[in-house]
Amino acid sequence: MSTMIEVAGLTKSYGNKRGIIDLTFQVEEGEVFGFLGPNGAGKTTTIRILMALLRANTGTARIAGKDVWEESVAIHSFVGYLPGELALDPDLTGGQIFEYFGNLRGGIDQTFLKQLIARLDLDPTRKFRQYSSGNKRKVGLIQAFMHKPRLLILDEPTSGLDPLNQQEFGRMVSEVRADGRTVLLSSHFLSEVEQTCSRVAIIREGRLVRTGGVTELKDMKLHEVVMTFSVVVPTEAFAHLPGVDHTETLGDGHTLRLTVSGGLDAVVKAAASYPVVTFSSNEPSLEDIFLRFYASESGPSANTPKPKAVSHVV
Amino acid sequence: MWFKNIFVKTLRDSRIAIFGWGGGLGLMMYAVLVAVASLTSTPEARQTLISLAQSYAFLAEPVRVDTPGGYATWKYGFTILIMAIWPLLVGSRMLRGEEDRGSLDVLLSLPRGRTQVALQKLAAMWTALLAMGALIGLFTYAGGIKAQANYGLVGAMLFSLNLVLFCGIFGGIALLISQFTQRAGTAAGATGGLLFFFIMLDMLHRVISGTEWISRLSPVYYYNLSKPLIPSYGANPGALFVLFALATIISGIAIWLFDHRDVGDAIMLPRWLRLPERQMTPDQALAPHSWSMRSIYLRGLAKVIAPTVWWTIGIAGFAGWMIIIVKQTESKLAELLQSTPTLANLIGNVGGGNAETNATMLSFFFIILPLLLMAFAIAQASRWGADEENGLQELLLATPQPRWIVLLARYGALATATVFIGVLTLVATALAASSSGIALNGGNLVAATLSMIPLGALVASLGYLLSGWLRTAIDTGILSFLLVAWFFITFVGPELSFPTLALRLSALYYYGTPLLNGLPLVNTLGILVVAIVALVLATVRFAQRDIGR
Repeated sequence: MSTMIEVAGLTKSYGNKRGIIDLTFQVEEGEVFGFLGPNGAGKTTTIRILMALLRANTGTARIAGKDVWEESVAIHSFVGYLPGELALDPDLTGGQIFEYFGNLRGGIDQTFLKQLIARLDLDPTRKFRQYSSGNKRKVGLIQAFMHKPRLLILDEPTSGLDPLNQQEFGRMVSEVRADGRTVLLSSHFLSEVEQTCSRVAIIREGRLVRTGGVTELKDMKLHEVVMTFSVVVPTEAFAHLPGVDHTETLGDGHTLRLTVSGGLDAVVKAAASYPVVTFSSNEPSLEDIFLRFYASESGPSANTPKPKAVSHVV
Repeated sequence: MWFKNIFVKTLRDSRIAIFGWGGGLGLMMYAVLVAVASLTSTPEARQTLISLAQSYAFLAEPVRVDTPGGYATWKYGFTILIMAIWPLLVGSRMLRGEEDRGSLDVLLSLPRGRTQVALQKLAAMWTALLAMGALIGLFTYAGGIKAQANYGLVGAMLFSLNLVLFCGIFGGIALLISQFTQRAGTAAGATGGLLFFFIMLDMLHRVISGTEWISRLSPVYYYNLSKPLIPSYGANPGALFVLFALATIISGIAIWLFDHRDVGDAIMLPRWLRLPERQMTPDQALAPHSWSMRSIYLRGLAKVIAPTVWWTIGIAGFAGWMIIIVKQTESKLAELLQSTPTLANLIGNVGGGNAETNATMLSFFFIILPLLLMAFAIAQASRWGADEENGLQELLLATPQPRWIVLLARYGALATATVFIGVLTLVATALAASSSGIALNGGNLVAATLSMIPLGALVASLGYLLSGWLRTAIDTGILSFLLVAWFFITFVGPELSFPTLALRLSALYYYGTPLLNGLPLVNTLGILVVAIVALVLATVRFAQRDIGR
């Protein structure tokens, strides 16, 4: 498997304002790569640098071994792009937009285009200004997919789409992946990334916080443990155990909530010293991990993920 | 303070326009009032002026044109009505523009009724118009004092009030039309067309007798019934009331319609008033095979076609009309020039020859042509920058098209439009000269019409170049200022004995007087070279910089 996108030490600032700082990651050919981050984290800046709309201050970015700035025209011939804020000529119909971009790109399979339009249930006879925001998004998606590009760069692709079309989009991405083509997408829909992407990068305040496979991230040993005892148990009994990040007494003092990184062995052994009524451990969802990386490092409660699914209950 | 409510916020948005339009038109009034003395210095000159004004009576009714107030009223009879352009732009954008941007949804989510929102915006427009009127009135009063006119501050203020009421009507019309259109630009264009139509309608009764009843359908007719700068004529309270009532009723209907329609939607016209809609099946929509979709150049051309047609009608029409007017009034103009050395000097200096010949007169008027073409180029070049700010370049640059091709294709479309206007102007002037029997050197006529093309190209190149660093509004503002400065240097510079170095700062200097003296080849090539250099720099800049929004 060859590297499709290779970003190394990429930095971009807008005058005094931060853009992205020393970003390094790779996307292999054939994978679906999710780019997660809160608003203003630098996702769109990174994507626009990859599309040669912005020029990085330092660092390198290459697509299929080509420099994204120097060889942008060659790169654009095999890339499909959907910007975060889609703007197209408001007086053109959907059909005219596809014809125009089809002519500028060349090699559009009309049958495939019709299939895409049917799948996303778009009326191509209407003018762009007359489309709802969801339908405008569909126009953007179709123009990105219609030339069967080797690489799709999609900035928040499902924003504004209804659940049915989000599902359809998921299927379209799966087909691209099955074809051995590559997708880089940014999203706020974590469940979508969890279902669609094979690897994820989390970006915060312009810096890459974490990159890894979706399963790899989910396997991070971050657990929320809630234990109820028949007697009052002091938090100190658990506070200094290895891996315990945070302890909290709930209700009448019989229930403790712990946030634990790594294995639960020490916690289970310590709990066994007291009369346990219930013991639950919540496995982190991707969303929990996402929130953990986004949350301010100043407050402990902010670091505490909310329970999603109870995986082990005693 | 400026964000206290919708009224002051909207007024704040108009602050530059108030000083620009009010100050600009006020200065224009001041200048024309001060110039009257030189036109009426001798009894002969006075008589000739009266006689000449009679010849142009179709433009505006000449009343006491030998007085400062009478001359200013006649001279700017309909020219000053260009102030209506501002309220018609504001009226068309007042609600529809905000709907286009989607900002009206947020505004209407506030605990304020629709009518209140619309009324506050309308009140801001009227306040801005009154502020402009106050400035114009003050300048008119000051000009009157300088020219020892026989009207006072009340007369000057009534003059501007008459103008404000007239302009308010067109703000109301634009607001009303915008309730029926999906785009603010469509409403502005239609209102502009109506303004032109109403001016023509008013002229009708001065050209064809017995048609006054038709002219009464035009607001311009009621505007012209008041001439407060001529004390013996005065203001017509009834006409002022008609203007006020029209503005109020039209605006009231517009706001009522706005209150009763869906936001983001337009009121459906009756079927017989609607343009036929072309029904398309999805299959047809997917293979439209439009010529304009084949390349960036053709798409650019399609976008510039409509404005090009209108500007061509304006520029070519103006050139042809000037030829006919000069021919028709040549004897009276000759008398006026003989008795008014100041005017003869001005025409001679700008026109480039003996002011008593038709060619010199035409040469004087023809300097307006490149000016108009450059104004067209500024308007179109600003769309290049606006497209980027609106995000329209984003997807285009994601296609395998080099940036330099994207820029040059769009520039090429604009250049094609300027060539089209130049050629059509040549055709119109040749036909006008032939039909009116005026003898013009064919080669010089070709030079006069086609040599304005490089000037249009120059301004377009500068616009593209500046857009590499500046926001569209600033870019357009700088170019517009440059155009006004060039106009001033060319028209006033020679009279004020500006040094040649200063005159050379104006691009119009290099246009020369081709109708009289043929093509100034070196100057024209010089302009072309500067335009090309600016375009190359613009291309290099565009290829290197970040694409913004």
